Amino acid sequence: MHLSGSLKATLRHALAAWARRRQGEDQLPTTIATGRVYILPTRAGLAFAALAFVMLLAGLNYANSIALLLTFLLAGFGMIAMHLTHRNLVGVTLRAVASVDAFVGEHGRLLLTLENTADTPRIGLDCEIEGSERSAVDVPARGSARADVALSLVRRGRMTVDRIKLSTPFPFGLFRAWTYVHLRATLLAWPVPRGRREAPPETASGGSATAVHRVGDEEWAGLREFRSGDSPRQVAWGAYARGRGLLVKTYQSPAAHQRTFDFASVPGDVEQRLEQLSAWIVAAHARGERYALRLAAGSVPADEGNEHRARCLKGLALHGTGEPW
Amino acid sequence: MVSTAARSHIAATLVFVASVLLLYGKAPVWCLVIALAAATWRLLIAGGRLPAPRARFGARFLLGVITALLVIAVAISFQTLNGLAAGTALLLVMGALKLLEARVRRDDGIVVGVALFLLLAAALASQSLVSLPFYLLVVWGSCAAIAIIADSSGALSPRAAMRLSARALVMAVPLAVACFLFFPRVGGQFWAMERAGMATTGLSDEMSPGSISTLANEFDPAFRVSFLGTPPPRAALYWRGPILNDFDGLTWRRVRSRGYVSRITMLGEPYRYRITLEPTNQRWLFALDMVAESPRRDMFLDYDAQLSANLPITSTTTYEAVSHLATRPDGPLSVAGRRYETRLPEDRNPRTRALALELRARYASDADYARAVLDWFRDNGLEYTLDPGTTTVDSVDTTLFDSKRGFCGHFASAYAMLMRAAGIPARIVTGYLGGEWNPVGGYLIVRQSDAHAWTEVWLEGSGWMRIDPTAVVAPGRLESGIFELASDVLPATSDFLYNNRFMVRARQLWDGANHWWRERVVEFDMRSQLDVLRRLGIESPDWRHLGWAFGAGLTAWIAWVSLSLRRSVARVKPDRIARAWLRATRKLARVAAPRAAAEGPMDYARRVGALRPDLAGRVAALASVYAGLRFGRGASHQDIAAFEREVRNLAV
Repeated sequence: MHLSGSLKATLRHALAAWARRRQGEDQLPTTIATGRVYILPTRAGLAFAALAFVMLLAGLNYANSIALLLTFLLAGFGMIAMHLTHRNLVGVTLRAVASVDAFVGEHGRLLLTLENTADTPRIGLDCEIEGSERSAVDVPARGSARADVALSLVRRGRMTVDRIKLSTPFPFGLFRAWTYVHLRATLLAWPVPRGRREAPPETASGGSATAVHRVGDEEWAGLREFRSGDSPRQVAWGAYARGRGLLVKTYQSPAAHQRTFDFASVPGDVEQRLEQLSAWIVAAHARGERYALRLAAGSVPADEGNEHRARCLKGLALHGTGEPW
Repeated sequence: MVSTAARSHIAATLVFVASVLLLYGKAPVWCLVIALAAATWRLLIAGGRLPAPRARFGARFLLGVITALLVIAVAISFQTLNGLAAGTALLLVMGALKLLEARVRRDDGIVVGVALFLLLAAALASQSLVSLPFYLLVVWGSCAAIAIIADSSGALSPRAAMRLSARALVMAVPLAVACFLFFPRVGGQFWAMERAGMATTGLSDEMSPGSISTLANEFDPAFRVSFLGTPPPRAALYWRGPILNDFDGLTWRRVRSRGYVSRITMLGEPYRYRITLEPTNQRWLFALDMVAESPRRDMFLDYDAQLSANLPITSTTTYEAVSHLATRPDGPLSVAGRRYETRLPEDRNPRTRALALELRARYASDADYARAVLDWFRDNGLEYTLDPGTTTVDSVDTTLFDSKRGFCGHFASAYAMLMRAAGIPARIVTGYLGGEWNPVGGYLIVRQSDAHAWTEVWLEGSGWMRIDPTAVVAPGRLESGIFELASDVLPATSDFLYNNRFMVRARQLWDGANHWWRERVVEFDMRSQLDVLRRLGIESPDWRHLGWAFGAGLTAWIAWVSLSLRRSVARVKPDRIARAWLRATRKLARVAAPRAAAEGPMDYARRVGALRPDLAGRVAALASVYAGLRFGRGASHQDIAAFEREVRNLAV
């Protein structure tokens, strides 16, 4: 069992490597051409073939024309099933790949946008990445759908995906057709928020003009460019309607407080320190506070919001890798 | 709303039920009942009417015990677990048990596999045309069930699954036909098969008074004949079967003798024909009067020109024979042969014996005597009837002098006895007379009800002559079948079936279809395959040609399938406006880089204008007209035509 399993894995790797050499790297959008779709019978398909073979032997043995006719019909059906499975995959387009970072121990996600230009739907397209579960998606005729592939993150840092496997057993499950798309996508595995130390106290700072709208004591500070993570509620829609582009209304808090999370000031080994920083960031973000992060490789000035949090967590994730952030 | 798992259970179970029903009458009833009960239970659970059983050790133990008991029950009722019938029963109960413990989708797949095996068993048991639609329905259902089992997301409705599998099966039909025609039918058997002990009706190798009239109500076909050339006249359609030569006063039997051989020379026109014989479980075959030679290597001609097969006919058998209606003996009958064919029991039928001696004394030759006896038959008020009444050990005396009623067997028996009593070699031939012409299939169907008996008498110089005393007693028998002749003694339903014109036509159509099916499909074998190749123009085909034809068919089919299954990619066909604009941009391609996907017509015109100021005004006008036609409301035909003219006149 184990031996056959490892043999299978070896074969699979060899096939994948061969496919990569054959196909080369891909670029978005990628439309799956016939030449890169591989197909093999599933376990059910092998059982079906064995059944047809036994029926063939019986038909020949008893010189029974009807048994043979039914056998040939089933065999033809099996081959049609193969063609149908194959064509369910051929021509599908991988339009976009987006990644969603997550903490170590959680699932990061890869969002694949699949497009179908054919006028029949494609059902049961499985998307997977090495080590992930299959994520099935149905793409309507002349439409698109998004597959959500969950990847379990086990190690802090940047996780690189360089191959996406699209496959389908539809419609009869007798065959599985698959293809590899060689695309680079990366995900960040942030350190787990863990640690019981008190966060450094808030310090008062001069107000910042970049603070966005917060309920309470604030005064108008002007407009700034939209950044991803800003809430649509803060967008200056009036300005947008006048054709000035996407702008966000900002306010200034009269007495802005902030905390500064400094790697150097946390005791423990590297991972523990990163985890503690992660915990502080998560807590501060939940409370809507302003915070700054200082790491060995650089620092993030005090701010708030989703984008700021992501930037800080990215810094933690990439700590010690030498990768700029 | 049924969950996809329940849907999968239901689909597999329904297919199983369908294939169990196919085996009705072909497997023991108790096996069918167990299978259907298990299926019902499974359906109730899947439908939410019953709680699903929990997997407990006790339940599994119980299931094991039930399994063992059922296997023992099958073994006891069949005395074996080997062979098709026992295997089918075993498969039935095992399928039922699988239903009891089916939990996951793979179990459903196994249930569908069992259903397909049951279908195979049904096909091996019966190849009739009537059952074909049911077989095809089970195949269709199985394929749909496979789709439903494979569909874990519920994206495929049962109706869509049925439609999809129907489509796949229809596309598979050409391949099935090609395989059927050209897949080499390897001869021989991979495993032994038992011979079913079939009870068949038909002629037997003995004849006592009344044994043939029991066949008169049997409508089953005995065989069908296609003539390759002109058919003989109807009155000559004597299909010779078992030849009986041993008489005990009541019953004629066939006892083979090696005592004599008589060689004959065929005279007159040969008649060539093909007979498709229904299984008889007997070795003898039927042919028109005298056959020149054995039609097949596994058949032979006996000393009395009786055609027989080496093995009993247990399945439908087709053979081609050549017959002549007239023959001449090459020499006299040997002494041993003459003695053998004139034997009679001494003490039986004394009145008949006396009549024979009296009549023979009056005539000079055997031939005159034979004719005189026929006259006696005609003139003595004998009555042809299906119901001649009871008989005695002196059956011929009873027929000729007491009841004066008889069926063909009685008259043949009496005539042969009269010949033998006068020292003339005679024998009884049983077989069939006439047949019903089927205009639909262009063949003659000979039914059990056409069974007949007549005599063959050796006349010096002429050899064995066919003499049918019934033809004298009831001349109509030669021209019409028993149904027309004896419709008064047949039940009313049979009368309707056989003498109503509409029903006759319907019956002929149905029989024609069945015959075609039998001869062209069921009986299709390697020889027929080679015939097909011959008709395709291959001189002397063998299995290698079959392989080539098979490969060619397969390739053609695969090409056809891949072409017709190519996805039709939705493409918006450009309309007149778009086509004209495309023409304009093609012309302008010489001036500027092609229009980018995100570039609107006005932007494009500005870019072209910047490169070629002399064209700027014109192109800008074209672009704005195009934009107006495209995005404005209700472009009139004239507007479009004007735009097209503008494009045509654009010179770059």
